[in-house]
Amino acid sequence: MRSLARRQEPPVPGLLPATGQSELARDGQAGLGGRGRGGEPVLEIADLSVAYRTTAGDVHAVEHVDLSLHPGEVVGLAGESGSGKSTLAYGACRLLRPPAIITGGSVTYRGRRLAEPVELLSLHPEQLRALRWREIAIVFQSAMNALNPVLKIRDQLLDVIEAHLDLSRDEAHERVGSLLDLVAIPRTRLKSYPHELSGGMRQRVMIAMALATDPEVVIMDEPTTALDVVVQRDILGQVVELKQELGFSVLFITHDLSLLLELAERIAVMYAGRLVEVAASQELLHAPAHPYTRGLLGSFPSLRGPRRELAGIPGSPPDLRGLPPGCPFLPRCAFATDSCAEVDMHLEPVGEATSGHLTACPFVTPGSPSPPSPPSPNGKGGRR
Amino acid sequence: MSATEPLGLESPAARRGPLAMEAVELTKLYRLGRRSVLKAASSVSFGLYRGAVVALVGESGSGKSTVAKLLAGQERPTSGKILLDGKPVEVSRRHAFRRFKSTVQYVFQDPFASLNPVHTVRYHLSRPVRLHRGRLGRAEMDSVLTGLMEQVRLTPAQQFLAKYPHELSGGQRQRVAVARALAAEPSVLLADEPVSMLDVSIRLEMLNVLDALRARFSLALLYITHDIASARYFADEVLVMYAGEIVERGPAEELTQQPAHPYTQLLVSSAPDPDDLGSVLRHGGGSALRQAGEGGAGVGGCHFHPRCPFAVERCRTQAPPLVRIDRTRAAACWRLEVTAPTLLAGARARGEGGNADVVEM
Repeated sequence: MRSLARRQEPPVPGLLPATGQSELARDGQAGLGGRGRGGEPVLEIADLSVAYRTTAGDVHAVEHVDLSLHPGEVVGLAGESGSGKSTLAYGACRLLRPPAIITGGSVTYRGRRLAEPVELLSLHPEQLRALRWREIAIVFQSAMNALNPVLKIRDQLLDVIEAHLDLSRDEAHERVGSLLDLVAIPRTRLKSYPHELSGGMRQRVMIAMALATDPEVVIMDEPTTALDVVVQRDILGQVVELKQELGFSVLFITHDLSLLLELAERIAVMYAGRLVEVAASQELLHAPAHPYTRGLLGSFPSLRGPRRELAGIPGSPPDLRGLPPGCPFLPRCAFATDSCAEVDMHLEPVGEATSGHLTACPFVTPGSPSPPSPPSPNGKGGRR
Repeated sequence: MSATEPLGLESPAARRGPLAMEAVELTKLYRLGRRSVLKAASSVSFGLYRGAVVALVGESGSGKSTVAKLLAGQERPTSGKILLDGKPVEVSRRHAFRRFKSTVQYVFQDPFASLNPVHTVRYHLSRPVRLHRGRLGRAEMDSVLTGLMEQVRLTPAQQFLAKYPHELSGGQRQRVAVARALAAEPSVLLADEPVSMLDVSIRLEMLNVLDALRARFSLALLYITHDIASARYFADEVLVMYAGEIVERGPAEELTQQPAHPYTQLLVSSAPDPDDLGSVLRHGGGSALRQAGEGGAGVGGCHFHPRCPFAVERCRTQAPPLVRIDRTRAAACWRLEVTAPTLLAGARARGEGGNADVVEM
C-alpha cells in the first residue's frame, strides 16, 4: 500500500468535533461497502431541481432528480450533452452561478469525518468552502483549461494542500511528491508547466489534485473524453486502483455508456434533465428497460464478437425551453404511443424488483421486444 | 489499379472503385529547434479509392492528422508525392490550388471551432458553392443549398439555413461542416476525427450520413479516428499509424479481429468492451504495455519497442520495415512469428506468404 503521509488533520472548522480515528479506511476492503454508518449513502441527492433563469422563462435543466452514492461505490451518470448531467453534479455541490438557480430539493452529505450529516444546500458559504475539495472533490472535464498555464504543477498542488490542510512546508512538499507517485507521474515532472505534459499526464495531475486532500467523494466530469483509448484505459484503471486503495466514492459523468458498463457498479441514465433509468451495470446491459437506454446500448460499435446491426438514436436532444408535457423522449422513441404525451415522468421500480432497477417508462419493460430491428434478450412479455 | 500499393499489396478498398488519390512515400519533417527534427510522417504510402472508406487509426500525436493535412494541401510534404487521378498534384499556383480544392475536401474534428459564429448556415454553404461552381441565380442557389441540406439530413432546409452555429447541436454543426465540404462537389473527402467531439448516441447517425454520401457520390473517404471499433464498422481498409509510420494495414474486419502488430493488439485490447464487464477492474492500469508517453518517434530501432512486450535486442537497434503478411495485409514488426503465428501460417498454407518470412529471427 502506498501511503500518503497522514496525520491527525484538524476538523473542518465550524462543522464538527474531531472524530479521531474516523479517517477513511485505507484497506482494500474499504470500498466494498459495510463501512461506517450502516448502508447509508455518503451523498444523497433528493428531488433536486435546477433551472436556468432566462428572459424567455426558466429552462429546467434538472428536474426532480433522486440519486444516492454509497461509500466506496462508483456510480455512473450517463447522458448526452445538454441532458443536465454536469448541472446535476455541480448543482449538488452548489458550484453553479446565476443564471442557474436551485429551485428545490436537498443534498445530504454524510462524511465519516463529520459528526453528523450536513445539508449542502443550506450550508453557510464559509462552511461550504471548507467542505469543498476537503470532502467532495471534482475532476474537471478539460485538464487543459482547468490547470493554470503559468504555474508549475507543484505549485498548483501545493495551493490545494495549503488551502485545505494544515501541514508544514516540508510535509506539504512531501505530500505533493507522493501524490504524483500515486498517479504514476515521475517526480521529476514536479517543476513542469501544464503545457509540457501530455494530455494524459495533465488529466492525471487533475486526479492527483482531487485526491490531494483525501476526499470521500470524487466527482469526475468526463475525465477521459479528450484522450485516446489507450490513455483513457490507463487512467480508468488507475482510478479503480486508487479507489480500492483509498476508499473514496466516485460519481462518474460521461456520455459514453460503454465506459460506464465496465467501470461503474450502478448507472443512472439522464435525459432532458430527468433520470430515465437507474440500474446495476449488469442489469442495465442485459435487461435495459427504458427505450432511451436501449438506444444508447445499440449505438456503439463493438470490436469483438459478430458485427451487430447498429441502430443509434434518430433525431436530436430536445430543446429544454418549453418542453411539452409527457415523456421528453417521445419524438425519438420507437415505442411511442399516444398515451406517452400524457404520462407523468417519474422513476418506478421495474417489476417487483428489489434490485433497485428503476425506469421512468411505464410502458416498456425489459422484456418488451424492440419494435423495428434486433430482438431483445428474452422475447417474452408483451408491449404494454 | 491497386498495383500501386507498396509490396504488391491488394487494397480491399480497391474492390469498391477506381483509384482516386494516392500518397507515395510521404514524409513530413517539422523542425523543432536548431538541432531537433520531428518526423511527423515517414514514408507513408496508400491509395484512396472511389466509393471506399480507408481508416487511419492511431493515438494522438501518431501523425494521422499530418497525413490528412498533406493530402489536403495544407502542408507541403518534405519528400514524397501525392497523385490525384494518376497525376502529381500541383498546388503552386492559385488556380491549380482552387481546382485541387474542389476535388479534395476536408471535414474538421471540432464542429464548434470550424464554423464562424457570426454567420448563418446559409453563408457557410453559399460561399463554397459560389467559389467552386461560379455565380448562380437566387433560385438556383437556393435549390443547391436545399439539396445540400437534404443530403446531410438537415430538414426542413429553409429553417436550418437561417440558423447561426450556436443554435445548432454538435451533431447538426458537424453536418453543416460536411455539407460545406460537399458544396465543392469533391471526389475525395478527408474526415479528420469527424465524430470524436460528438456524443456517442449521435456518432452513429453521423457515420451513417457519411456512409450514405460515400455510396451516393462514390466519394473516396479517408476516415481518421482513434476509435478502432468504429473503423471496423465503417471502413473497408484500416491503416494503423504509430509515431508517424504505418505499422499495420489490412481489411477492417480481419485486422480488428486478428491484429498482427503489438500496437494494434494494444489498441484493440484498450477499446471498451461491454461484453467483458469489469475488465478495467481486472486488468487494472500500470502495466508496462500501457505506459504511454514513452516510445514514439524519438527512440531508435522500432519506435514501439519501449512499450512492446515482445521486444528483443533487434527491435532496439533496427527499425522494422513494413512487410507483407498475405495478399491484403502487412505489418512492420520483427516478431510477427511470435505476435501473429496463425496469420503467417495461414498465409503460407494458401501460398500467399509475402516477404514476412524473410524476417524470421
